[in-house]
This record gives sequence, structure tokens and C-alpha cells, in this order.
Amino acid sequence: MSAMARKICMLGDFGVGKTSLVSRYVRNTFSDRYLTTVGVKVDSKEVIRDGRDPLKLVVWDIAGKSALDALNMSYLRGASGLLLVADGTREQTLRTAIDLLLQSRSLLSGAQAVLLVNKLDLVERWEVAPSTLVELRKTLPVIETSALSGDGVDQAFVELARSLDP
Amino acid sequence: MKDAPELADFSPEVERHIARFLFERAQPLLLEFDSAWHLINLQGDANRFGFDVDNAQAGARQLQDLFIGLSHDESVDLPFVQMPNGRSAHVHLLVAGDGYRVLLLDAQGEHDRQQAQQQTSNEASLIGYQKGKAIAQLRQIRSELEQQRARLQDANALKNALIATLSHDFRTPLTSVFGYLHLLETRVEPEPDAETRHALRAIRRNANYLFTLAENLLEYARADTRSSLLAPVETDLQAMQEDLDGMFRPLAVEQGLDFGIELERVDETTPVLDELRVRQILVNLISNAVRYTHHGEVKARLAWKDAALLIEVRDTGIGIGEDYRERVFEPFNKVGQAAGSGAGLGLSIVKRLVRQMHGTLDLQSTLGKGSRFRIVLPGLALAKPADAPLLSSDAAGGTQQRVRSVLVVDDDPDITHLLEVMLTDLGFRVRSVGEATLAVEQALANPPDVLLVDVELPGLSGNTAVFRLRAKGYRGHIVTLSATPTEEARKVALNAGANQYLTKPINIDQLARAMQRAVSAA
Ligand SMILES: Nc1nc2c(ncn2[C@@H]2O[C@H](COP(=O)(O)OP(=O)(O)OP(=O)(O)O)[C@@H](O)[C@H]2O)c(=O)[nH]1
Ligand SMILES: [Mg+2]
Repeated sequence: MSAMARKICMLGDFGVGKTSLVSRYVRNTFSDRYLTTVGVKVDSKEVIRDGRDPLKLVVWDIAGKSALDALNMSYLRGASGLLLVADGTREQTLRTAIDLLLQSRSLLSGAQAVLLVNKLDLVERWEVAPSTLVELRKTLPVIETSALSGDGVDQAFVELARSLDP
Repeated sequence: MKDAPELADFSPEVERHIARFLFERAQPLLLEFDSAWHLINLQGDANRFGFDVDNAQAGARQLQDLFIGLSHDESVDLPFVQMPNGRSAHVHLLVAGDGYRVLLLDAQGEHDRQQAQQQTSNEASLIGYQKGKAIAQLRQIRSELEQQRARLQDANALKNALIATLSHDFRTPLTSVFGYLHLLETRVEPEPDAETRHALRAIRRNANYLFTLAENLLEYARADTRSSLLAPVETDLQAMQEDLDGMFRPLAVEQGLDFGIELERVDETTPVLDELRVRQILVNLISNAVRYTHHGEVKARLAWKDAALLIEVRDTGIGIGEDYRERVFEPFNKVGQAAGSGAGLGLSIVKRLVRQMHGTLDLQSTLGKGSRFRIVLPGLALAKPADAPLLSSDAAGGTQQRVRSVLVVDDDPDITHLLEVMLTDLGFRVRSVGEATLAVEQALANPPDVLLVDVELPGLSGNTAVFRLRAKGYRGHIVTLSATPTEEARKVALNAGANQYLTKPINIDQLARAMQRAVSAA
């Protein structure tokens, strides 16, 4: 029997590193060139979860938007989990990620969410304050990541996979 | 309003044309699956979207992933989905009985256009953001620098006040020490007892030392306060020679040195020099020579020839090693301090004074044998009214002089007030206005002897006002004041028609000189 499959979506403002995080996670590659995503690209990777059946994560990398339009909604349908992505060097993208989560709730009431604050390698230029993340952690899992160095990337996907049932 | 035409409205011929056109564009690929997602039929160009016809099942699984989590009883449209080969397609899931039909329409062209647009706009907004951030940072830095500068200015003002006080506080008692010392020396000669003589020499040596030290420290601290403007005066070299002789001979003789200051006059002209600066050079060089020479001679020579002053001071003292030749001219140098000359400022001051007077300095020295300093200072031009008294009523020396008028143009009431006080002290009648247009009117209606105008004015700038006045034939003397101490700014002001350019902060000496020049030019 093939593994159980679950759809998850990368959600966040443009340029925050959604495509880069997926490349790092699925292919272990990184490019510093920015090529914006139009529409959607779907990738998949199997996650081993201890004590449970392996899970095939089907990852939807969607074009970055600051608000959810009808098009984005059509991509989100059927998702069990969301990886919200923000760029630590631009505080505004963190607010966008939260907004997107709230907007997605009407469509995906039961979806699990993990927040990724990306570009950890540029931490000396971060605008997001540590105290902000402390506050956010009270509502959802928050992981600092770097698609460039790979820090926190696997951890983030596994964290989301773990929260998906069964 | 007519509704959009239905397909049926077109003739079969047109309809066929449309269909062919759209078909060519979309390059449709239709895949038919049974209810268990097994591929049962495929129509169209599978290669176009990267599906391997021989391994169609793998491609089918990828398509299936697109519909995870969806109920399969309604059709789904997914625009712009990236296919296995990277091509973009619009994906439509059509529910058909108990199977699925997936229709792929090529969207690469549309995708590329949209991507180009989105890329440009995203990049522009990222760059705009970075730029905004950089500008904010620069602002921050600038405001910090400004605060720092303000603090420095405060500190500088304090320093200047301190120097002014110190100059006075040092000189007054030293003047009386030297006066009484001279009195005693002439009273007890020709036959003082050894102990008295010793005591007098000790007092003279230390008073000399204190005097030199104080003057040097003040000069050092004054560096940026007193501009390098020279004060040319007709200089009595003989009086200078006698003063220096009186100051150092007693000590040199006490040390058993052969001491002499020689004056040679080749030119018949009266030397015009910055007397105070020349004197300070000599005091430093001779006092060093006497200090570091334990036997032999200290000889100084002053010569006025070819419109230049030659100063030569040579000794048979300890000398300065090759390695230290440069360093002795640095302030607070260790060489001087180690040799016990106090702060080690003397030669650095000499060097600075020589530079200010556009002279040359040459040092020859052999360790253990002695040193020779040779300085050439070009004579200066006498500022025309230098010997005329300044125009204050008491300095006018009783001559019936008309009171001169100044029009001050500055928008800062504090500066205006300061200028009014200073100028009134200098004997001028002062009017002031805070704005350039008004200044132009007033200067034309009632021309002052001197117009003193700030460059940085609200509205019409000082330079523009000057230019306008000159353009209207105004011929009075104009002094421009500005906070910008650059050559560039000076040129701009002079090009606009100013006669002189002064930079803030204004100091009274500078102002006095400028006003003197202005009045004598009138
Ligand atoms: N230094 C650094 N740069 C990163 C990181 N992640 C992504 N980037 C860079 O950020 C830019 C945008 O990355 P993408 O992954 O294309 O961003 P995106 O969220 O997919 O953007 P859209 O597709 O436009 O929504 C690229 O130049 C990446 O190289 C990171 O962790 N560190
Ligand atoms: Mg992307």
C-alpha cells in the first residue's frame, strides 16, 4: 500500500522564501536568485513519524500574496496543514502571515499551522523582535528557519507532519 | 445591450475557426481515469507536459496528488499548475460517471507574461523597502552626528572660553614676574654674591620655562580657534633681538655657554612679519637649544634679505638622532618628554607656525654634536590700514571720522544680536533685517557702508540677494557670512558678488579685520 498522503500549503508574502524552503526540504538545494512563483508548484516528500505510519507530504508552493483572493482559495482547498512563512528582515511579512492564517480559517477550519520565520542567516538584520515571537508561540508553533543554511527547515516540516492525523 | 454571443450565434465556419485557434493555443491533453485512478485513455500531446507515455501511471499519480483532500464529486479548476517538465498548465478535473477526466491546457505563454510583470513589481517593492530602510538609517546616523557635533561645539566653546581666561591669567602675572626680575637683575649687578646670582638665574630659568610652556599650550589649544590668518605688522627686528638676548643670555652664561644673537640686515626695507608668531618660533628654538646644550655654544642669527626673514639657531648640544628627525615635530612626542623638556610641544608648534607663514624649515643634526635649525619666512604684505586705528570712537584717536554704517542680514536673532554688539563695539552704526528681499530694498534705498549678509536665509538666499544687488548696480562692500567652510561655498559667494567670505562661528578678531578691510576699501 502506498503511504498516506496529506496536502500542505506554503502561505506567505512574496519573497519570504516559500519556494526556497521547499527546494531545501525536498531537494536540499538553494539559489540566491529570486524567481517569483506564478500559480502553484506541487512537490512531495515522505516523512517518517516515529511510532506511526509514514506520511507523504504533498507540498503546494503558492505565489506569495498579502491577502487571499479567490485564486488562492482554490489552491488551498483540501489542505490539512499550512506552513505560514514570514521574512525576519521584514516585520510586515509577519503580520501578513498572521492575516493569511486568519483569512484561511473560513475555508480550512481544521487545518494545522506552523509559522516559519525565515532568513535566520540574516538575523543581524532582523526587524522581528524576539519578544514578538515569544508572544506568538503562545498561539502556534513558531520555528526560525534559513533556507540558505537549512537551519530549522526539516524541523518545521516534521513539526507540521507530526500534528497531522492520523 | 446585447448579451455576449453564444457559440450557436456564429456560422459553423467561424465556429470551426475559433475552435481551431483555441485548440492550437491550448494544446489540450485529456487523461481519463477509472474510479481507482488507473489511466484508461489519453488524448493529445503528452510529451508537451512532460508525461512519459510509456510510464503514464507515474504521471497519473502526480496528477492525482493535485486533488488530495477534495471531494471527487465536483469539478475542479486549477490555473497555472507547474507540470513535471516545468511547463505551466491550467488543470481541470471533470467528474465523469464513476471515473475522472483531467484536462490540461497549456498556459506557459500566459504564465511567462504574468511572471515578468509580477517579478518586476515584487523586486521594485523589495528595493523600495530596502531604500526606505537605508534612508532611515542614514537619517539616524545624521541626527547622531548632529548631536555629537552640538556636543563638540559646546565643548569647543568651553575650551575657547577657558583659553581666553588662561591666556590672560598666565600673562598678567608673568609680565610682572619678568618686570621685577629685570629690576632686581639691574639692581644687584654688577657684583651680586654667588647665592643671589644663583637665585636670580633659577627664577629667570623657571619663569622663561613657564612662559614658553604656557604660550605653547595656548597656541596648541588655539589651533582651530585662531584661524591661520596672519597678522602682518612692521617688525622691529632689533628690539626682538634685544628682548631674546635679555631673556636667554643670563641662563646661557650661567651654563658657561658662548651665547649670541646676531642681526643682519641686507634689505633696506622694513620687514613686515607676523611678529608674535616669529617671536614664538625664536623663543621655542632658543630655549630648546639652551636647555639641551651643556657646553660649547648657542648661536642665533636673524637676517632680513630678499624680502624674507632667515632664522638660524645652532647649538653644540646633544643633537637629534636620525630616527627621531620626524618625530620631534609631533606634539607630545616622547623624545622631547624623555629629554625632560616637558610637554614636548615646542617643535610641533614651531612647525605649525612656519607652515602658517608659508615658510620652510630645515633641521640638520648630529647626535652628540649638535643641531642647526634653519627657517625662511617670506615677508608679508602690510594690510593697508594695518596701522590705522580701528574705527571705534576711542581708537579713532581724535580724528574726525564719520561713523560708518552696517546693514546686518541674518534670520537668527541671537546671531543678529551678537553681531550688533560686536559691530557697535567696533564703532559702527548697525541696522539689521532678517530676510533677504527686505535687505535688497533697504540696501538700495539707503546704502550702508558695509553689508553683512548671511548665506543661509529663509526664502531668498544670501547669495541670491547679493547677486540681485550687484545686478542692480549696487557698489557697496559686501561681506558674506556662512556656516559652510568650504572653498566651493566661498567661490559661489564671491561669484555672486561678495567682496569677502567669513565662516561661522564668528570670532571678533576675524570680524574686526574683515570690517577694517571693508572700510578701507570703501
Ligand atoms: N539569506 C537568505 N535568503 C533567502 C532565504 N530564503 C530565501 N531567500 C532568498 O529570498 C528570495 C526569495 O525567495 P523565494 O523562495 O523565491 O521567495 P518566495 O516566498 O517563494 O517568493 P514568491 O514566489 O514571490 O512568493 C530569493 O532571492 C532567495 O534566495 C534564506 O533563508 N536566507
Ligand atoms: Mg516562490
